[in-house]
Amino acid sequence: MNEERMSVIVQTIASILFPIILIFSFYIIMHGHLTPGGGFQGGAVGASAVALLIVAFGARYVENKMREENLSAFESVGGLVFVIVSILGIFVATTFLTNFLVGEPLFGIIPKWGVSPLNSGGVLPILNIAVGMKVIGGLASVVLMLAIASKEGEK
Amino acid sequence: MKKIFFIAFVVFFIFMFYSAYEIRDFGNPPSQMDDRIIGKYNSTTGEWEYGAVNETGANNAVTSVVFDYRGYDTLGEATVLFTAIAGVMMLFRRVKNE
Amino acid sequence: MIEISLFEIALILMSVFMIASAIIAVWFKDLLASVITLAVMSLILSLYFYVLQAPDVAIAEAGVGAALTTAILIITVRATERMEED
Repeated sequence: MNEERMSVIVQTIASILFPIILIFSFYIIMHGHLTPGGGFQGGAVGASAVALLIVAFGARYVENKMREENLSAFESVGGLVFVIVSILGIFVATTFLTNFLVGEPLFGIIPKWGVSPLNSGGVLPILNIAVGMKVIGGLASVVLMLAIASKEGEK
Repeated sequence: MKKIFFIAFVVFFIFMFYSAYEIRDFGNPPSQMDDRIIGKYNSTTGEWEYGAVNETGANNAVTSVVFDYRGYDTLGEATVLFTAIAGVMMLFRRVKNE
Repeated sequence: MIEISLFEIALILMSVFMIASAIIAVWFKDLLASVITLAVMSLILSLYFYVLQAPDVAIAEAGVGAALTTAILIITVRATERMEED
């Protein structure tokens, strides 16, 4: 159990860097409608943070901390939010994937010239968060399952 | 066989070198579609008259194309990701339960 | 004398480094070093996308190509053989 961990230096650096990379990934996801980036890019960065944790602490430790079922459930919630917001466009407005939140108080400000506020973009921030949840959960659970399976194969 | 690979490598190298040398500068020729997509800004009233920023409210035109105008493509991409991850789960779940 | 701008010099240098790292990745017998060379190629490709003014694709390439693919390939190399057989 203990030999699959790396040295103390790597563990310390990984545990310092993990929240910073995760915050950067949330920044990319939340500012997807303002700056370059979006759900997929931020989700890939967040999944690479989980991969760093797997490299430093070993797959068993990460599996005990964050269960793989939780990551799959996280991914499914993201996909469900995407589909529900898309279908709400039929009932609230006219068609599938209508941007029905433009002009509403939540996420509804149409930006002026220059720097635009975070509270803009209609349903685009919600869809960005949904795709980000989906990509973080999916790619992290794939890396985790591959690491656990390769450990099982060695014995 | 190695000679064929070497010739293919040289041809590909010359192609990439030439295409990197012959690439156009940015904004040349000027695009006619920029005003259509991003929109027209009215500087007297301080608002966008038409275009992507007026319709979706997002400052980033790429995101408004990916998630709004071409939202079906993003839904299909999410479906592809879901299917790939379901395949990996199905392949490795049995190893974990033994 | 052909005139050549700094932008074209940057593009040509990045093309040369990308082709060189891809060929080295095929040429190595040590698969772990080969995977690291692929990560270098992916990073230079991300820089190429950034120089060509596509920062969205650059972030996606740096996240998926340089981090996640390398992690998955290193896990696979660790579970199988490290040295390639002749």
